[in-house]
Amino acid sequence: MILSDLLRRPVFAADGEYLGVVVDARFALDGTRHQLLNSPRLVGLIVSPISRTSFMGYERTGVRAPALIAAWFRRRERGSFLVLWEDVASLKGTTVELRSRATLHSPRLAGDGRVEG
Amino acid sequence: MTRHRTPRRRRLDELAPPPRIAAQELDAQLDLLDRQVLDRDRVQTTTVDDIELTDVADPANPDPARPPELTALLTGPVLGTRIFGGRPPESRFERIPWTDVSEMGTVIRLGVAADSLDATWAERWVRDRIIARIPGGTHDPQ
Repeated sequence: MILSDLLRRPVFAADGEYLGVVVDARFALDGTRHQLLNSPRLVGLIVSPISRTSFMGYERTGVRAPALIAAWFRRRERGSFLVLWEDVASLKGTTVELRSRATLHSPRLAGDGRVEG
Repeated sequence: MTRHRTPRRRRLDELAPPPRIAAQELDAQLDLLDRQVLDRDRVQTTTVDDIELTDVADPANPDPARPPELTALLTGPVLGTRIFGGRPPESRFERIPWTDVSEMGTVIRLGVAADSLDATWAERWVRDRIIARIPGGTHDPQ
């Protein structure tokens, strides 16, 4: 499977409610151990209710500058959320279906683990 | 393409706080895709066009305890598909195994030489078959 197979998939709640599309995938560097770096493990999917892509990630970081651009993109991406892999019920076909009572998390990246750059 | 009803935008206070993860986190679009890849000698090698994940054994019922892992960075002809949609077939991508990656940051550093990767075969072919046959093409400019 490659990442493009997941991006832009429509996401549905267990009751059939349309929630948005997958715009990104979050990983944690705590998968299989290797000599140089651990394999990134898929933590979850970032879902946006409106836009089909995520640009610059202003809604996920604490970056506030340039103020005008930051405000524009934060507004454009508002309502995005992170859904954990454990809450994914099905990837059948070209959609993503969530488990009942799936938790929708804030998409903010934890400051400690942020990859700067 | 199927059109769906515009979903409700949830306010931040309706969402649970982000999960606490002890390891370094990275978002594929923000931290991996389109990043420059340098080899162990800081030679520009390629850019990341896509990433390969382990397959999900049963997509209709994925195992919550076995999340996919990133296995390779992919590079290939994606310009056309980014403009017009879709994606190139997997056979058109060149793989850089994750085990070759040594450092993540503004750029992605590899622990191996670029010449040892399949991803640079086109550049090596042009160098060896075309540039090397041009007089003066086998040494640095004076």
